[in-house]
Amino acid sequence: MNARPVTLLIAAMGGEGGGVLTDWIVGAAQRADLPVQGTSIPGVAQRTGATTYYVELWPETHAALGGRHPVFGLGPSPGDVDVVVSTELVEAGRCCERGFVSPDRTTLIAAARRVFATSEKAAMGDGRFDAERVMRALRELPRQALLFDPDRLPDAARGVSLNALMLGMVAGSGRLPIPLDCYRDAIRAGVAAEANLRGFEAGLALAAAPPSPAAETTRARPGLAGLLDQAASDLPPEVLAVVDIALPRLTEYQSEPYARLYMERLRRILAVDPAPGGLHRLSAEVARHLALWMAYEDVIRVAQLKSSSTRFAEVRAEVRAKPHEPVQVTEFLKPGVEELASLLPPALGRRVVAWAERTGRTERVHVAMRVRSDTVLGFLRLFLLARLRRWRPRSLRFAEEQAAIEAWLARIAAAAQRGEHALALEITACARLLKGYGETHRRGRSAFALVMAQAVDSARPGDPAAAGRVARAREAALADPEHRTLAATLAAIAAEAAPAPLARAAE
Amino acid sequence: MLAFGYIPRPGGVMERSFAKEVALLRRGQGEMFEGEGILAIAKALLQSGVSYVTGYQGAPVSHLMDVFADAKPLLQELGVHYEPAANEAGAAAMLAASINYPMRGAAVWKSTVGTNVASDALSNLASAGVRGGVVMVVGEDYGEGASIIQERTHAFCMKSSIWLLDPRPDHPRLVELIEQAFQLSEASSTPVMAEVRIRACHMRGRFTAKDNVTPAISTKTPLTTPDFDYGRICLPPSTYVQEQDKVNRRFPAARAFIAAKGMNEVLDGDLDEVGIIVQGGHANTLLRALARLGLADGFGASRIPVLVLNVTYPLVPEQVTGFCAGKRAVLVVEEGNPDYLEQAIAAALREADLNTRIVGKKVLPMAGEYTAETVLKGLARFLEGAVPRGVDLERVGEVLAASLSPGERARALIGAPLPARPPGFCTGCPERPVFAAMKLVQKELGQVHVAADIGCHSFATLPPFNMGNSILGYGLGLSSAAAVAPMFGERRTITVMGDGGFWHNGLSTGVTAALQNRTDGVLVVMDNGYTSATGQQFIPSSTADEGATRPRISIEQALRAMGVTWVKTQGTYVVKDMVKTLREALTTKEKGLKVIIAQQECQLARQRRIKPQIAAALKAGKRVVRTRYGVDAATCTGDHSCIRLSGCPSLTIKENPDPLRRDPVAHVNNDCVGCGLCGEVADAAQLCPSFYRADIVGNPTKRDLWIARLRQRLIARLQHFAEWRAPA
Repeated sequence: MNARPVTLLIAAMGGEGGGVLTDWIVGAAQRADLPVQGTSIPGVAQRTGATTYYVELWPETHAALGGRHPVFGLGPSPGDVDVVVSTELVEAGRCCERGFVSPDRTTLIAAARRVFATSEKAAMGDGRFDAERVMRALRELPRQALLFDPDRLPDAARGVSLNALMLGMVAGSGRLPIPLDCYRDAIRAGVAAEANLRGFEAGLALAAAPPSPAAETTRARPGLAGLLDQAASDLPPEVLAVVDIALPRLTEYQSEPYARLYMERLRRILAVDPAPGGLHRLSAEVARHLALWMAYEDVIRVAQLKSSSTRFAEVRAEVRAKPHEPVQVTEFLKPGVEELASLLPPALGRRVVAWAERTGRTERVHVAMRVRSDTVLGFLRLFLLARLRRWRPRSLRFAEEQAAIEAWLARIAAAAQRGEHALALEITACARLLKGYGETHRRGRSAFALVMAQAVDSARPGDPAAAGRVARAREAALADPEHRTLAATLAAIAAEAAPAPLARAAE
Repeated sequence: MLAFGYIPRPGGVMERSFAKEVALLRRGQGEMFEGEGILAIAKALLQSGVSYVTGYQGAPVSHLMDVFADAKPLLQELGVHYEPAANEAGAAAMLAASINYPMRGAAVWKSTVGTNVASDALSNLASAGVRGGVVMVVGEDYGEGASIIQERTHAFCMKSSIWLLDPRPDHPRLVELIEQAFQLSEASSTPVMAEVRIRACHMRGRFTAKDNVTPAISTKTPLTTPDFDYGRICLPPSTYVQEQDKVNRRFPAARAFIAAKGMNEVLDGDLDEVGIIVQGGHANTLLRALARLGLADGFGASRIPVLVLNVTYPLVPEQVTGFCAGKRAVLVVEEGNPDYLEQAIAAALREADLNTRIVGKKVLPMAGEYTAETVLKGLARFLEGAVPRGVDLERVGEVLAASLSPGERARALIGAPLPARPPGFCTGCPERPVFAAMKLVQKELGQVHVAADIGCHSFATLPPFNMGNSILGYGLGLSSAAAVAPMFGERRTITVMGDGGFWHNGLSTGVTAALQNRTDGVLVVMDNGYTSATGQQFIPSSTADEGATRPRISIEQALRAMGVTWVKTQGTYVVKDMVKTLREALTTKEKGLKVIIAQQECQLARQRRIKPQIAAALKAGKRVVRTRYGVDAATCTGDHSCIRLSGCPSLTIKENPDPLRRDPVAHVNNDCVGCGLCGEVADAAQLCPSFYRADIVGNPTKRDLWIARLRQRLIARLQHFAEWRAPA
C-alpha cells in the first residue's frame, strides 16, 4: 500500500500565469499517458491575491494500469508534497508555514524576489517584511531548494516569461516522471510557443546549475571632490563613508561653501560624540540626516534633478524604451502657494504664507504645470527653475531650514554633552520625519515639531527614559497620516513624565 | 497611425473565445474528453438530452455559462435553448418549463447566494413538482478562495424537498451522476441540485464521452398544445396535495431510485469494526488521508469500510443502518454547519435501535473547509478514540507528527506573521480612481457612510481604501442604506454598486424604492461594461459585443425613464473631475436620489482586447505610441502617500537608490498599463512631483526621429553649459 501519486503545488499571485503553468504540466503528463489531475481556486482570488494550483499524477501509465483509476486529492496535504513552485518569496514562506515543504520530500523551486503586499507598500516609512526570516525557512526546510532571482538571470533566460522558466525548472528537477519532450509538446500546443520553449530550455539549464541567491549589490560611490579631500581625511571611516556622498551632493545642490558649512556643523557633533566602543555611530547618523536635510527638496531642487544629464537615460531604462524609440516625457509639477512663497525673501514670503493661511488658501492655491521635459521649451522651464539655485540662500525656506537645523543640532549636542548618547541618537533619527512635498511635508514638519517640543524639550535632563519616549513618539508619527497615534502617544508621554499629583500623594 | 490612449467605450472584437471548449462539447461516443470539471458537467447536460439551459454567472460555475454562450451553433443543431437569466430568480423561474412539459432543463449559479436569490421560484418549482428532469448545478463557494458568506446549500434542499447531489470529484463518476440526476428527478417528480465545490469545478481530468442527445421537445421540434392542470399550480388546495405528494410518493420514489441505481457507493474493507460515511465531494480527500495512514491503496481500496454519499439529501435510511449495523463506531465526514447529516444518521440509527457510536463534529471542526490536513487530523483522532483492531496507532501518530512538524518548524523560523495578500483591484482598474476621489472628497467634507455592494468594487473595503460600511447582497447596496441615510440628516450617504448588481437587483429593488420614498442620497454605479468579478460576462448595458443582435439598454436612460433627475455620467480616470462630481452630488441643494455613472471599461477586458491589436500594429510597422508612468527615484522621499491613495499593483516600492536614505521609494513596475491614475492622484492631491508620464513611440517616423534628435542635441548643450558652470 505504499504507491502514491506524485504531488506538485504552485503558489502564485493572480494574473501571473500559474493557470497556464498548471495546464502545461497536466498536458505534459497526459502526453506521457500518465493519469493526472490538476485543480485551482480561481474566481475572485485571481484578482492579484495569493492563490494556489495543485497537481497530482500517477507514476505509471494508463496502459500499465490496465483500467485501474488512481484516487487523486484536490488539495495539498502537509508533509505530502513532492514539488513546491513559488513565484515569490513570501508566498514560498506561506507554503512552508502551511507545512507543504518537508525535509524528507519536497523540492522547492522559488523565485527569490519580493512582490510587496499592499500593507507593506502603504506604510509611511519602511513596512517591508524582513525577507531574511523567510530565507531561514527556505534554507532549512526543503529536501532540495532551487532558488533564483528573476532580476539576475543568465543571458539566455532574460526576457522569458516566468512560468515557462519555472516549467523548465520543474522538468529539470527530475521529480516528475514526465519525459522532457512531453513538456515541449505541451508548450507547442499553446500560444507564444516559440518564446515559451526558449523559457523552458532556460529553466532546464537553471535547474542544472542553480545560481547562488542574490548577493547584496555594492553601490557605486562617487569619489571625493578633490578640494575637500583634506578636510575629510581625518574622519572616522563610518563617518567618512557618508561624507563621501554628502559633500559632492551639497556642492551640486548649492555651492562649495555650503558643503563647508556641512563639514563645520558635523565637526561640532564629532567633538562631543562619546563614540562608545570607538564607533562614531552618532556622528555617522548625524552626517546622513544632516546631508539629507541640508539638501531639502524644493522646486529648484526638483527642477535640477529632473533636468540633469543622466536623467533621460534613467527614464528610458525605466520604461524599457528600445534604443531607436523616441520617448516623450511629461512632468506633473504642482507647487502650492506655500512652496512658491518659500522662495521669496523672508519678510515678503512670511506675509504671503500668513495671507494664504488666513484666507484658507494654503491647500487650495497651486500652480499646476505639465511640462514636456523632452521638448526644448519644456526643458528650458526646468533649466531656468534650476538656475534659481543662486537665489536660494536669500529665500524664506532657506532661512527657516537653517534655523531648524541649528536647533536640532543644538539638541543633539546638548544631549551628547550630558552623556545621554541614546537620547542624542533618537533626536538625530527624528529628522526622518521630514520628507516629501506640499501636504506630506507640512505633516512631517508638524510631527517633527510636536516630537521635539513634547518628547525632547519637555524631558528632565538625565531622565534615562527620555530616549525611549522619543523613539516611541517617532514611530507613532509614522503609524498613520492623520497623526491619531502620535497624539495618543504624546498624551501618554506627558502623563508619564509628570505623574498625577494624586498618585504622588498616595506614595 | 494608432494611438492607444483612453478609449471611452470599446467596440469591435469579441475579446474572448472558447472555441476549444466548444469543440470538447462536440466529442462523440468513445472519444476522450479532457478538461475542467465544470465543462465535464456541461457535456453531461448535453449527453442527457436537455432541452434548455439557463443560469447566472458566478464563480466557480461561470465557465459553463461562457462556453454555452459560445456554443450557439452546436446548441442550434441540437435544438437546445440557452438563455442567460437576469438573475438567479429568473433562472430558477425558467425551470417552470419542466413543470408542464416533459422536457429536461438545467440551471447553474453560485451558491448559497444565488440559491438565496432563486429561493422564491425554487419553493414553487419544488412544490409543483416536475415532469421533465430538472438539474441545478450549484457552485458551492465554500472554503479557500470563496468570496461569499459561508453557509450550506443543504438547508434549502431540506426545507423545499429538493434532492441534493454531492458528487465524488472524479470525471467519469461526475458525468454518470449528472446523467442519473435527470432520471432521479423524473422518477420522483422532484428538481435535483448538484453541488460542486470550487476545486472540483476547476479540476482537470478526463472521461470517455458519449454522443450528445437531441431532445424530443426542442426549438426544432416545438410544442403544440399548452398544458393545463390545476394540480400543478401553487395555490390552495393544490399546495396541500403537493405537500402530501412529496411525503407519500416523491420521497419513497427517490430513495428507491438512489438505492437501485447505486448512486451512493460502498467500499468494503476488512477492518469492519468501524466505518466512515463521507460526503461524495470529500471522498477523495478521505481516501488520500487513509492511504497516508497505510489504510488504503492509491486506487481507493480502503481497509476501513466507507459509505460515499453522492446523494446527501435525502438519505436512504436502510442504506445507512445497513452500513452501520455491526460496527462499534462510524465517523461522519461532513463539512460545514449545522451537522444535518450527522443528526439524520443518528436519528436513523436510533429508530432502527442500533447503538453504533456516531462520531463527526467531535473530531472534525464544526466550521471551516475540510482540507487534506483537517481530514487527516480528524481521521487520526477518530482512530485513536475508536481503537479498531488491526490499526497500528503508533504509525498513525508518527505520520501525523511527521506531517505537522515541518509547518511548526517553519512558523518558528519565520517567527512573525507574513503579510497577507488578499485579492484587490487589478492594475489600471477604472474603479480605483473612484475610490481615490471618494477618499479626497471625504477629507474635504468629512467621513460619510458608504453602503457597499457585491462586485470587484467591494475590494475597496480592504486597504488602502478601507471604504464601505456594510455589504448586504448583490444589488442591495442602495436598499441597505435606506434606514441609514435619514439618520445622518444633512450628511448624505454614498452607495456604490456595479453595473452587474444594478441590473441584477439594484434597479428594481433599490432605485425604485428610493424614488418611491424620496430617499436623499448618492448612488455611484460602476459602469465597466461587464460583470467583471465573475469573468466579464455581458449584461444589458454591455457595448463590447459589437454586432450582437440583442438591444443595448443604457443605465442612464433607464434611470431617467424612472424619474431620476440628477444623473451624471463621468469617466473615472480624471480624478479631479470625479472629485468635483462627487462633491456636487454630496452638497447640491437638490433633494432625492443622485446617481453618478462612473463609466470606464474593465481594464482586464480592455487589455485582453487591445494587446493583440497593439502587437499586430507594431509588427506591421505602424507607428504606435504606448504610455506608461514612472517615478523619479531621486525626487521620491519614500512617504508612500501615492500608494495609500491608489493601491495599484504596478505602483510598488523598491530599495532606495540613495545610499543616504533608508525608506524604500515608490516605483512603477512594467505591468503598468498607462491608465494615468498615479499621476492624476499626485496631481489632484498635490502629493509630489516625482511622477512622470512617458509616451514611447514605437516604429517612429522619420519626422519623429528628426525632431527627437534635434531636441536631444539642444538639451544636451544646455545641460553641458549648466554642469560645466557648476563648481566642481
